[in-house]
Amino acid sequence: MFDLMDSTIFFASYGNAFGLSNITLGSFDIFLAYIVAIIVSILVALLLKLPLLPGKPYRYSFDVSAIYPTPIIAIGILSIFLVLNYTFMYNGLVLAIVIGILSALFVKYLFDFVFPKPLNEDNGEDINE
Amino acid sequence: MNEVIGIIIAAILCWLNFVIVDTYFGLPEQAGVRGAGLVGKDVEKRGGDIAGGYFQGNILCSPDASAGTLLASIGYLLLGIPGGIIAAFFVFMGNRLCADPGYAGTCGSLTATLILFICCSFLGFAPEMFIVGMVIAILTVQGIDQVRASVVLGKIAEKFNRHARE
Repeated sequence: MFDLMDSTIFFASYGNAFGLSNITLGSFDIFLAYIVAIIVSILVALLLKLPLLPGKPYRYSFDVSAIYPTPIIAIGILSIFLVLNYTFMYNGLVLAIVIGILSALFVKYLFDFVFPKPLNEDNGEDINE
Repeated sequence: MNEVIGIIIAAILCWLNFVIVDTYFGLPEQAGVRGAGLVGKDVEKRGGDIAGGYFQGNILCSPDASAGTLLASIGYLLLGIPGGIIAAFFVFMGNRLCADPGYAGTCGSLTATLILFICCSFLGFAPEMFIVGMVIAILTVQGIDQVRASVVLGKIAEKFNRHARE
């Protein structure tokens, strides 16, 4: 009766049959929506003149680019909508396109304001000295 | 599948996933923040390897592929594949808040989601096994013997050409 963990998990996964978060959408529709969101976000980011790849050195660069993090933000927000069972018309394709455009705009104009680059990467104060 | 065998296999898969992704994205190469550098130097002082120490300090100080794998397993348990992708998104935000570019964390959670999808859909694993397995995998790196774990991690870093000395 008071099996809180089980009932919480059951409630959270209610309506989600192993990844098919919306019973009106098949798995192919969801896959297509993800692909569309990724492609649209990259294309719009390129149209907004973001670089395709982050600046060098690749693995330590804080610069935003079209490949990273624009599609990550797009598919993350799209999955939140899918999990909440809000898929707009045309099997979620319209939603995917709108989220792709908005995430590219966010990365271009608001990202540095929301997540500023760390200051003093090399010459911050050291607690030992 | 038997629970104990599943947990052991899941722990090995998670360990390989997060160590390979983290090493590839250069965690043993340099300390991202001051705290990670202090942990690395302390591990070296106790007889460990500096690259392994930086690795341990980095996964301590910001959510990298280790936290990504754990959160992706939890997200997959709750919400399926979208849950794993949401975990990648949140790990990315957490990385940026921790002064980390976030390549390792997001790639680690996406690959973990892929592994979970393959194992849970076709091979009969349960996502809970991966949560327990990931906790065990982090315990072997950070908990049992930090010095010996750092030596092993340093050897792996040398294999990937990501050692701190070079």
